[in-house]
Amino acid sequence: MKLRALARLAPVLVGALLGTGCVTATVDEMVFNEPLEGVGDAGVVILGRRHASDYETEPDFIECIGKHIQRGDSSINVIGELEFLNALYPWFEPRTAPLRPADIDRLMAQPPVAEKLATLQTEYLVWVDGSTVQTNSAGSMTCGVGPGGAGCFGFGTWGNDSTYEATIWDFTNRAEVGRLNTSASGQSYMPAVVVPIPIIAPVQGTACDGLGDQLLKFLSSEH
Amino acid sequence: MSGSTTSAPDRPLAGVLLLAALLLLAGCGAKEVVVAGRFPEPTMSKLPLTLGVWYDDAFRQHEFFDEAKGRAETDWLVRTGEAQVQLWDTLLAGMFERVVPMDARPAPEQMNPAVDAVLIPRVDELQYAIPAQTNIKVYEIWMRYAFELVTTQGETIADWTMTAYGKTPTAFLQSDEAAVNLAAVVALRDAGAHFATSFTRVPEVTAWMDALDAPTTMAAGPETPR
Repeated sequence: MKLRALARLAPVLVGALLGTGCVTATVDEMVFNEPLEGVGDAGVVILGRRHASDYETEPDFIECIGKHIQRGDSSINVIGELEFLNALYPWFEPRTAPLRPADIDRLMAQPPVAEKLATLQTEYLVWVDGSTVQTNSAGSMTCGVGPGGAGCFGFGTWGNDSTYEATIWDFTNRAEVGRLNTSASGQSYMPAVVVPIPIIAPVQGTACDGLGDQLLKFLSSEH
Repeated sequence: MSGSTTSAPDRPLAGVLLLAALLLLAGCGAKEVVVAGRFPEPTMSKLPLTLGVWYDDAFRQHEFFDEAKGRAETDWLVRTGEAQVQLWDTLLAGMFERVVPMDARPAPEQMNPAVDAVLIPRVDELQYAIPAQTNIKVYEIWMRYAFELVTTQGETIADWTMTAYGKTPTAFLQSDEAAVNLAAVVALRDAGAHFATSFTRVPEVTAWMDALDAPTTMAAGPETPR
């Protein structure tokens, strides 16, 4: 019975193994002032930089890093990006967001802003700047539909490149305390014989894990 | 791909044909977006002023229509009026000690509630761009506002223009309409942020507030290089 169940599962397992393309990732770290005992119960907010005209740091990438940090150390309070942006509107919008840690002083000069930041217990602010782009694509695929059924035939391949930089600001000391870089690239494939079989390289996910791990080392006492 | 056909048109086949026809027709119609979003109240020290606000019909029902220039393009209708009123009501209520909606546009003979000044916003121009037009995988909305700050008698205190911009990247399984809506919401948030941080820096407004003896530094944010 077990063998029969394994035989039934085999195509699924093979599919799952084949269904992931290869990804190469690099992470660079430059930390100036790491907290000795982690951030504890204090809050950390991760925000995407969105003032460039030709790209935008994806909100789902920011969410992915936040979840990665919370999975790694549940004691760290990661404040949601939209929650923070709404709470501090209009001071962290693409047009008005502080570009240097020293700009925080001017924000703190406004009592409602200082009160809101104190309520949120924001200890560290992580700015993430970058994006994932498609670098190349090749191949062709034809799909058709008729009364008898539908199907595709062909082969497609494309590459993705992720480059992100995270800058860590210490809210208490109004200083930049670390800078991390991650880049990942990978090639995805999609052969199709009636049914397209996507073999996707998790490029953005790898970049998220890389950056998330480095941030965990910085913020958590458990790593 | 070819497929066999049955000799008599049965019901499932008729259904498929009808669905295909409907899909084709749907592709021919104009794309319409009624901008909807949530706008937060600003976190800032309120200016000690009673501000009147007047939205004319063109502003309340603001919409933008772009006619298709070729067979490959689609007509676009973007209605922002409702969202504009929602944004400005929320923003001004958080910026000023008291905000009073006016009964009519301020004029010498017009009776209106007593206020320090009346703000009249107007959308002068709206432009949009979708990936099909630009080949960049970003949806964009750009708006130019014109503001008039007048006395209850309709005399101009200040008038100035301001731009706002919003963009959103192409997202998997997101329709053009949803992406344009999101870009419009980002542009409206940007308009609010721009107004809130620059209102007291408009020279005529600064001079008027100095004359009233109201503090002008309260709503001014950090200087931005842009």
